[in-house]
Amino acid sequence: MSEPRETIFEHEDHELPPTASTMTTFAVLVVLALAALAVGFSDLGPWKVLANLLIAAVQASVLALFFMDLRQADRLTWLCAGAAIFWVGLMFLFTLTDYLTRYIAAI
Amino acid sequence: MAASATAGAPVAHHFDNLTQQQQTVRFGMWVFLITEVLFFGGAFCAYTVYRIWFPREFEAGSAVLNVGIASVNTFLLLTSSLTVTLAMRACYVGDQKGVRNWLLATIVLGSAFLGLKFREYYLDYEEGLIPSSRTELVRTTGSGEGVPGADFREQPVFVGNYLKAAEEAERQTGKSFVEEVNLTRVQLFFMFYYSMTGLHGLHMIVGIGLLIWQYVLASRGFFAYPGRYVYIEVMSLYWHFVDMVWMFLLPLLYLAGPHSWGQAAGQFRLAILGH
Repeated sequence: MSEPRETIFEHEDHELPPTASTMTTFAVLVVLALAALAVGFSDLGPWKVLANLLIAAVQASVLALFFMDLRQADRLTWLCAGAAIFWVGLMFLFTLTDYLTRYIAAI
Repeated sequence: MAASATAGAPVAHHFDNLTQQQQTVRFGMWVFLITEVLFFGGAFCAYTVYRIWFPREFEAGSAVLNVGIASVNTFLLLTSSLTVTLAMRACYVGDQKGVRNWLLATIVLGSAFLGLKFREYYLDYEEGLIPSSRTELVRTTGSGEGVPGADFREQPVFVGNYLKAAEEAERQTGKSFVEEVNLTRVQLFFMFYYSMTGLHGLHMIVGIGLLIWQYVLASRGFFAYPGRYVYIEVMSLYWHFVDMVWMFLLPLLYLAGPHSWGQAAGQFRLAILGH
């Protein structure tokens, strides 16, 4: 019997973050949620949705980087996250360029 | 601690070693999450198109939603993301009792979210904020001058119900929002509201099912091997993703319209205590 061949999975230095850093992440997310509500209950007019989406994007990034541990993930996982954003971006781009320009084409 | 996390757990026969198995399990969930992002992405994309087309109608629809329940639910979900992460860590450091307790806490928080969500649906139903093709005859203010039926006009049942809810919301916030709004079209917003929160709720139910399953596994000693923390991790990836969807649903559905802190507090009190 030969030794099992070396794979890219042989070396594992993945370590879970300590509880203190998990609590910090949670505190940041709570503060961001409060900020989202404060903006939501304000009278910013058309800027409200943009400000809120920005906060949501920051929240989602903190959640992905720390709770979902993208920070120390391997390249394959980053590829997954990137692919998700890329394909959703394509869907938005092609859908919006069609639907939002139909009236222009009709004029 | 860290060393024990990659030692001791049995490896399935088709893997070379535990690390390969763990990374494959993780990769599988991430690939599934891509499909989930696209699944929800379709709904968000459709929402974007209609929101840009009918901004006033969407804001007017949002204005009558129960933002009190939504705010509390936001923090319940965030806390459940914390507890599921702590469950994973407990397994990693070999604390089996901790695994059970944190999983249980996550189940309780998730169920509380759903309970409040169902309460909110019930209140929406009671107010009649349901899109439908049903119409009713309403009395017009103008004089029909004795012509039978001339004092009445037909309008969707939804519009009458919506106006009652809007009046109450305007009283609570002191902000008006029904001018220049096509009231029939506000139903479009409610289609998005029910389908998007419904899909999210469905994912919560599946997530709670997974949590219960892992709680049963934990009770049977499955997580006695610290290396098996990865199973809690992949389930937590899904749970965090559902939390992430809510982070976007909150501003797009609930916070789109005019609201206030006082209204949120009042709505929550009314929904729970009934006064």
